[in-house]
Amino acid sequence: MIELPESPDDPDLSSQVDLAPAPSHRDLFFGMMQVALSAFGGGLSAWSQRIIVEQRRWMDNTSFLTGLTVARLFPGPNQINMAVYIGARFQGSTGALAALAGMLLVPFSLLMLVGMTYFTFRTLPLVDRLLAGVVAAAAGMALSMGFKILDQYLQDRVALMLALATFMAMSVFHIRLIPVVLVAGPLAMAWYWPRGSAGSGQ
Amino acid sequence: MTAALLLVSACTPKSLGDWVNLLAVIRDFLSLSLFSLGGGNTLLSEYHHLSVDEYCWLTSNQFADLYALAEAAPGPSSMLVGLLGMGAAWQEGPAWALLSAVAAETAILLPSTLLMVIASLSWNRFRDSPWRIAFERGLGPITLGILFSVGLKILRTADHGFTAYLVSFVVCALMLRTRISPLWFMAIAGLLGGFGLIYR
Repeated sequence: MIELPESPDDPDLSSQVDLAPAPSHRDLFFGMMQVALSAFGGGLSAWSQRIIVEQRRWMDNTSFLTGLTVARLFPGPNQINMAVYIGARFQGSTGALAALAGMLLVPFSLLMLVGMTYFTFRTLPLVDRLLAGVVAAAAGMALSMGFKILDQYLQDRVALMLALATFMAMSVFHIRLIPVVLVAGPLAMAWYWPRGSAGSGQ
Repeated sequence: MTAALLLVSACTPKSLGDWVNLLAVIRDFLSLSLFSLGGGNTLLSEYHHLSVDEYCWLTSNQFADLYALAEAAPGPSSMLVGLLGMGAAWQEGPAWALLSAVAAETAILLPSTLLMVIASLSWNRFRDSPWRIAFERGLGPITLGILFSVGLKILRTADHGFTAYLVSFVVCALMLRTRISPLWFMAIAGLLGGFGLIYR
């Protein structure tokens, strides 16, 4: 009589009880492939949450969100790091490899086809004109990346100074990324070192 | 056209058939991997520097094309590195181009993936470490500065006329104000370009 929804609104309440058994390498490969295929229109992160947490029930929402935090914190593309986190959690480093392969196989093959088509036909005038337009739109997307995360730093004068110094070093003085990060990184870490614990807090 | 030819001849593409070059390229991508803060887009200027200025595999226009294609194609946009690898070896034939693409993508992903495996397995140990907190808070503002610099670099690489800049600024504003899929912006801008309204 009472109809329970397939996936409850609050996964935290239910997830502890009915988690699926740990996925095998094969499960990881095909699970991440499903995520990659579902996300063909975009929204990879949302799709991976829907499939991993709600549909396949490999982990609860808390573990998933922890994974996202780690994936964003560490170097590397976020989505790829997330696949590595899921794979490593269940089957160690070989599991990470299986998840990674599942996530990349189809999109990468497709991109290779796109690339070969591009290099074969790029000299056609129509292709060049079309791309001139697409490129202008893509440049707008690139420009929006900084503005997207600007809000969270507006109250912090030191953060804005650091960002400005980094920007100047790269765009005005043409210093390469690695030296910039190697110099600015430790300075910024020293400034933001949590106070109250041992360290060089300022 | 002559300007393009002059640019190409001013810079000789490094052949990947030479082992020394191949190893140098792999080393460059491997060492960049751990500097891909904030999801990987922070590396775009470095990719441009390597493939256009240093190794001369691509012209600036081609780099912009590949960036746009990687953004438009489904899947993580960091697969751009695979396209750069393909461009590097396109002269040697499609088989070499594919091999080079896979090698480049593997090189850029390997170090960050290894680190991520370690991080995933030992997260509980350093979740509350002051190093983790300082890293997260300190590298955020630096990532912000890098992203602005990268945005400007791509803008200058991609756009060569008033209408192109106009399209870029409108798309930028729409990206920030709306939730419309960027695929639409690229499709519409592509049409405008096809009609000859955006030139380079």
